[in-house]
Amino acid sequence: MNEIEEAQHDAGHEIAAAGDWLTGAERVAVWREARDARTNVLDQARRTAISPNAVDGEHPATAELSAPAMEVVHRTASDPGRLTRRWAEEQISVLGEEAYTESVGVTAIVAVLDRFDRAMGRPERPLPEPIGGEPSRVRPDDVGDVGAWVSQSTGPTRANVSRTLSLVPTTNRTWRQLVDTHYSRGAEFMNMCWEFALSRPQTELVAARTTALNECFY
Amino acid sequence: MSGEANELTIDLEAVLDREHVGDVGIPASAELLAFTNAVELGGDIDAARAALADAIGDEATLQAAATIAIFNGLVRVADGTGIRLDEGVFTASVDEREALGINRFAGAASSADVRARATESEPSGPVVVADLFG
Repeated sequence: MNEIEEAQHDAGHEIAAAGDWLTGAERVAVWREARDARTNVLDQARRTAISPNAVDGEHPATAELSAPAMEVVHRTASDPGRLTRRWAEEQISVLGEEAYTESVGVTAIVAVLDRFDRAMGRPERPLPEPIGGEPSRVRPDDVGDVGAWVSQSTGPTRANVSRTLSLVPTTNRTWRQLVDTHYSRGAEFMNMCWEFALSRPQTELVAARTTALNECFY
Repeated sequence: MSGEANELTIDLEAVLDREHVGDVGIPASAELLAFTNAVELGGDIDAARAALADAIGDEATLQAAATIAIFNGLVRVADGTGIRLDEGVFTASVDEREALGINRFAGAASSADVRARATESEPSGPVVVADLFG
């Protein structure tokens, strides 16, 4: 197993355990719903509509996730490029910004694992069994309004993208490990002529096309 | 950035044109774009992956899959948390964003006041991709 696959293995295990504000069962349910979004009728109707708001309907609550939590997971998984501040504020007003952020973070993490498997022609990995335990429910001291939709670390940072999940440190650790092994590669990130099998320009090409296809402004 | 460092002339417009799967000035770009499009838009992923592996090898192909995967996560944390474009990037990419149609993406609204500040002050924050994950 290489370091990419090791990081994915670790991430899958960490998703099954309690996080910052969500239990292991809730986090595994996020994975299940994020995966369902690929074929979900409502999600696909919204995704192909001129505006997602033009499509009536909502995702009903499940045993693990409330209706707003379902909305966050399904929209983030299926149509992230058209999320708006107003939409986020509606969800946050019910869920709280910590649970909202963790739901977004877990959705992003499982998107990495599932997309990698699809790209490599591998079967979907089975959802893990949830691990018991309670979320830490610790809000970091150094977070505040830095202009994003949710509180983020206010300390020095090179870029806003590096602090997206700083409100939920347990989830952020898993996320940052994936970013480091899959893309940024520690100090090598500063090297525009790195020696990895996929060259730096080839890496940026794939990154740029993927981002464009997802209509991500950032 | 990495194109200049590697002495490549890259066609950025073609990179961001979803219909384009040919050469953009980077070795194996046609195979890389075909693979990325197949994974993201739906297509014959197995055939695209095999063609890519023939062009750049198995290890590089796995790294390409990892790059597609992590950027699926990155767009979701960026758009889901509503981060603003960093001022340095914003200021340094005005012409490119306009020319490439990036400003039409819904996420541009999150950076509306960065646009206002950028016209009033010197740029700060990252200006190149290498600054992003320090």
